[in-house]
Amino acid sequence: MIVHVEAVMGTMFSFHVEPGECPNREASAAIASACTRLHDLDAIFSTWKPESPMSRFRAGLLRLDEAQCEMVHVTALCEEARTLSKGWFDPWAMPGGFDPTGLVKGWAVAEALEILRLAGVKAAMVNGGGDIAVLGSPAKTPAWRIGIRHPWRAEALACVLEIDGAVATSGCYERGPHLINPKDGRMMFETASASVVGANLAVCDALATALVVADKEGPELARNLADYEVYLVRSDGTEHASAGIVFATESVC
Amino acid sequence: MRRVGTVAASIVGFAGIVALHAGGSPSLPGAAAPPAPVASTPGTTTPGTTTPGRTTVPTTTAVPVTGTAAGTSEQYGYGALAVKVTEQSGHIADVSVTSLQTAEQYSQNLAQQVIPMLRSEVLSAQSARVNAISGATYTSEAYTASVQSALDTLAAK
Repeated sequence: MIVHVEAVMGTMFSFHVEPGECPNREASAAIASACTRLHDLDAIFSTWKPESPMSRFRAGLLRLDEAQCEMVHVTALCEEARTLSKGWFDPWAMPGGFDPTGLVKGWAVAEALEILRLAGVKAAMVNGGGDIAVLGSPAKTPAWRIGIRHPWRAEALACVLEIDGAVATSGCYERGPHLINPKDGRMMFETASASVVGANLAVCDALATALVVADKEGPELARNLADYEVYLVRSDGTEHASAGIVFATESVC
Repeated sequence: MRRVGTVAASIVGFAGIVALHAGGSPSLPGAAAPPAPVASTPGTTTPGTTTPGRTTVPTTTAVPVTGTAAGTSEQYGYGALAVKVTEQSGHIADVSVTSLQTAEQYSQNLAQQVIPMLRSEVLSAQSARVNAISGATYTSEAYTASVQSALDTLAAK
């Protein structure tokens, strides 16, 4: 297993790669390429860097038709996520103007994993600040096992999921109230944590946020998401899981 | 996390979305505890300045080792922290925070609450044999990165 940690996008990205038949040197080169890609994406999408294309777009200094293809692609993903979430994820309704931050990190993780896949890696996991995309499965185990952080106890896990594809988790527990209901501006919710498992991490990331801010309507929204599996923890401690969520079994522990 | 299996057994088999313990007492440990006090400043939402790409050298880790190693100092949203890891026969036996710098009072309060708990998170995550944790950001990522660098150092010994 090759492990690599990269500081980018204001958080840590970790790579776990089982090179398999891909020579170690090539797997390491693919990780380096993926990191370069992450730094490039940070330069495009950072809302903290006034000179970034995203900041210039937000300030009205750059039109989408003259922007990088990544900007166009992310905008399209934002539209898809807004539709899927029935408007509960809405980057166009954020204070300060269009803000795709809730989706960009997940998308960047998926981009990084795609670089590893194209290099011939058969099993890998990329974790960008808790947004996780996986390929294949680790040696001698059937699936990647992902702990879901307990919303009120940082030392504990709420559960352990076996995933295929990707998982993103959203909640207000660690950074305080930073999520906003796009429909009424509220920032306090009775959904403590929402995890979404699916093939497209950018959409999982957006939907996890949508499910928290949708609050009481979260379980109903989750029921209508055909291609995404959902695990919710409500502030009264109740848990909701859709049928396709796979909990790791005791025997594997 | 021994309770994980119980939850799994309860949930598997339900169709659609199910609510466990609906309307009853909190089902998660710690559910009754108030959420940790945190700052309520909108605008702290987006990642702050990125540290220059600190990287650990990719390392193959296979042989069980015993020893202690210091992790690198890691930037998180509001400061920097570093840990020390003691490993015995390939298992993490202890993790301690060796340095913690925070930018502001709020952050200091949050970090002091979170970090002692993270210590056992690393240990319990190990006992639950997970590959990663979803939903842990800033502080815990810095902590994890520092732990990882210490483990890499131990593996290279």
